[in-house]
Amino acid sequence: MTGARPFELVLLELIFLVLLGPLVTGTIQKLKARLQCRQGAGILQPYLDLAKLFRKGTVQADTVSGFFYSIPVLVLAATVAAGALVPVLRAGPPAFPLGDALMLLGLLALARFLTAIGAFDAGGAFGGMGASREMTIAPLVEPVLMMVVFSTAIAAGTTELGALAAHRGTSWIFAWRAADFLGFAAMLVLLPAETGRIPVDNPDTHLELTMLHEGMLLEHSGPGLGCMVLASHTRQIVTLGLVAALFFPIAAGGAGATELLLGAGAFAAKILVLAIFLALVESSYAKLRLFRVPQYLGIGFVCAFTALALRIL
Amino acid sequence: MDGYSSPNLIAACYAAGALSALLARWSGRLALTVGHLAALAGAVAGIGVSLGVLLGDPGRTWTQPLPDLFPFARLSLALDALSAFFVLVISIVAVAAAIYGPAYLRAHTPDAGPARQAAQVFALNVFLGCMVFVCCAGDALSFLLCWEGMTLASYVLVVCDDRDGENARAGLLYMVMTHGGTALLLVAFLALTERAGAFDFTALRAAAAGLDGTTRTTLFFLALGGFATKAGVVPLHVWLPRAHPAAPSHVSALMSGVMLKVAIYGILRFGFDLLAPVAGPLPASWGWTVLVAGTISAVLGVLYALQQHDLKRLLAFHSVENIGIILIGVGLAMILWRREDAGGALATVALTAALLHTVNHAAFKGLLFLGAGSVLCRTHLRNMEELGGLARRMPWTAGLFLLGAIAISALPPLNGFVSEWLTFQALLGGASRFHGPAGLVIVFSAAMLALTGGLAATCFAKAFGVTFLGRPRTPHAERATEAPTSMLAGMMWLAALCVGLGVAPGYAVRLLDAPTAGLLHGPGASAVVTAYGPLVLSTAPTPGGTLATAISMTMVAALLIGLAAIAWVLRRGLRRSPPRPAPTWTCGMRPTARFDYTATAFAKPLRLVFAALYRPRRAVIREPAGTVYVLARIHYAGEVVDLSETQIYHRVQRGITVLSRTIRLRSTGRIHGYIGFVLGALFLALLLFGVAEK
Repeated sequence: MTGARPFELVLLELIFLVLLGPLVTGTIQKLKARLQCRQGAGILQPYLDLAKLFRKGTVQADTVSGFFYSIPVLVLAATVAAGALVPVLRAGPPAFPLGDALMLLGLLALARFLTAIGAFDAGGAFGGMGASREMTIAPLVEPVLMMVVFSTAIAAGTTELGALAAHRGTSWIFAWRAADFLGFAAMLVLLPAETGRIPVDNPDTHLELTMLHEGMLLEHSGPGLGCMVLASHTRQIVTLGLVAALFFPIAAGGAGATELLLGAGAFAAKILVLAIFLALVESSYAKLRLFRVPQYLGIGFVCAFTALALRIL
Repeated sequence: MDGYSSPNLIAACYAAGALSALLARWSGRLALTVGHLAALAGAVAGIGVSLGVLLGDPGRTWTQPLPDLFPFARLSLALDALSAFFVLVISIVAVAAAIYGPAYLRAHTPDAGPARQAAQVFALNVFLGCMVFVCCAGDALSFLLCWEGMTLASYVLVVCDDRDGENARAGLLYMVMTHGGTALLLVAFLALTERAGAFDFTALRAAAAGLDGTTRTTLFFLALGGFATKAGVVPLHVWLPRAHPAAPSHVSALMSGVMLKVAIYGILRFGFDLLAPVAGPLPASWGWTVLVAGTISAVLGVLYALQQHDLKRLLAFHSVENIGIILIGVGLAMILWRREDAGGALATVALTAALLHTVNHAAFKGLLFLGAGSVLCRTHLRNMEELGGLARRMPWTAGLFLLGAIAISALPPLNGFVSEWLTFQALLGGASRFHGPAGLVIVFSAAMLALTGGLAATCFAKAFGVTFLGRPRTPHAERATEAPTSMLAGMMWLAALCVGLGVAPGYAVRLLDAPTAGLLHGPGASAVVTAYGPLVLSTAPTPGGTLATAISMTMVAALLIGLAAIAWVLRRGLRRSPPRPAPTWTCGMRPTARFDYTATAFAKPLRLVFAALYRPRRAVIREPAGTVYVLARIHYAGEVVDLSETQIYHRVQRGITVLSRTIRLRSTGRIHGYIGFVLGALFLALLLFGVAEK
């Protein structure tokens, strides 16, 4: 097995990805504030929040079981492990077999499952409600995401993300076929759902009844909440990185420091484009009623299925 | 394996267990201990024998004639790689059940008389022995005899736990449905034996070689119908969610985890071996039917499971789902076999996925049923709305149940993910080889499999969260204590398998070499799936020569552990103070168990999303207390229907009722009339046969 990305590079990419995660959230928040004619917090605010959370003590519900304490640990580990599967600086499969796109989706699903379990543990209605809603949306999003992955995987003959990115190579939008456009459209529909943003979820809400993801975090506090929030940031950038690997051009690149810096800059630029898209969508739409969300996701399903059909027929 | 007595050893153990239970029926305790010990010995012997065959000389079939009981048929045993694999699956769960059983039966039904306990142990041993020997049968007659023995023994176990009306009705439905299926099997077997003039499988294989296409397909569909009834494929599944929960929990684990797999064995034996054409691919209709039936079962099984609040019934519906996933792999292998140029590698991947999911499902479903059994024997409750808070009272059971829940939800790094990953890869490879509508069906099946995985995760978040977390909702749940050690030991054995098969599946794939190579006459499983070493899973290389996808469950598990260690340091925080306990925030009210989210509420959004399928009904009865503004009591009842039950079975039932009413009108009670009917029927039969003879 020979691959383009040795172990050190994958590790470097993983650290880069995790460190960049909060910045993406900060950028989106800043953009939203400016779009709403507010000054907004600085783009480094999420880092400060995290630092503060890790310095705090913990308050824990008195009814929780022994699992509750380790839930943030496992959620963070699973989400970051998913990050190790995203090609960041360079295209091509890793030099050692690790996981593919299905594994990435599986690890994200594991993190979500454990978060939902943690939400039940405190025994409040809000946690259960958040878990119920999140676990209602998730099984509807997951198949569509997988179909988008399949529609590119069938063209490339593999589901390994680095290899998929290498197959896309440096081809720009001009080289796209109809299936690519439809797959990308499906992905854009899914992005707000998978990153927990308007019109599916509202990350800034203060009303427990409208929460999806945040509702599950209510009973976590201090460092535990810090882990959960860091996991949310990482989940967001991993999802954006998945879109970038599937649809955006990426250079195979050399091993020199310049190429790596260039790769890092290119990755940041791609993520920034998607972050701007998310901020625009969040500022221009209202949150959907929960029972409208399946119809919204239906658009994604139709696009993804048509993309797949075009690839196969 | 050189020994010829090894399967005899299994038979001897189970027979000894059954007999000792009968002899020791004056002491329930003795019967339980001795009977389960014998079953354990039989299961260990089964593991030994099957491992010997699977790791030994491939392609060799070990046969042994049985004593001549019938003048018209020679009975024999034939143990090839496929049989050995299924014996292994049966024995793995049987080990857990035998360890778990005695303490469970004592704790769950302490007031049961020794005679009933002895009967249960007797039936358990007969059940296990019959399952093993269905898979080892070398001729049609012993196959059918063991098949029937398996059904009868499991019926005894279903109805003997407690004899209220519901169990009896579940048992009756089970009997009627499985005997309908057995009738179909009987027709398929008799059509073959009549042509072969003998009962042994070698003769049947030779006779099947001369069949024309239509007859071959008809016979296959007869057999498929029979086996699908036993496997609980939608819409033939209606008996399963009733009968499986009614049995004692370790028997439920066996019925769900293993008995259904015997039907899978039958489908594989008929499809790839007995009825397969000598050369050339299988008829296209076979594989597509199995694939579509599997897809429908997978989706509907999990959708119905979502709306169940009875823990064991929920698990039984998940068996319908997992049988569907296995059948997707089997169907794909049937479609691809001998129909592709790349040396049949993709068919091998599909069959490997199906067989691996067979053993994986046995492990995690066994574990979950045993976990549900521990809850049941400590609280005597199956309705999860009445449970809650058990994780603090039964931490080991809760942890093991959570492990099984993660495995069945197909989440990495446990074993459910491995076999679903392989199924996905086989589906993807199949889709890129078949263009046009065929490819679309395969892709749609892949999308449905993804939906199934997501819904299973939702369902188990609900099952685990409502049962084990939060506050106890009833005094029974509040008083629960941890299960006895021997019950935990049985569960740990299966949990270890879930972890082992998930983290290092390559070693299990090696056991699949002989069955896959033997059935498909192609490359073995490990040559395709673990081509880069035992720790790496990979798929068949594509014809274009591009790099096949390779993943390593071991590496991912190591990565998860490493990251968890780092996250643990973060979790402890900079202050390092122990957590301060405080009541849960419930908007200022004093928190009680009524604040916990219920299973009904958790599943409600999906009940509304899939309302067309569930046809939910709800009845809310309000009792006003004097004025309309104050309510004394609100009674809520909601239910969802099983569409196949209302749309198919209720109609059939109505048809039968109408028919029997019509017959009753004609039956006057006078003997002349009946004689007239008999004569008329005889005349008609003679007429028809006379025409057919000409």
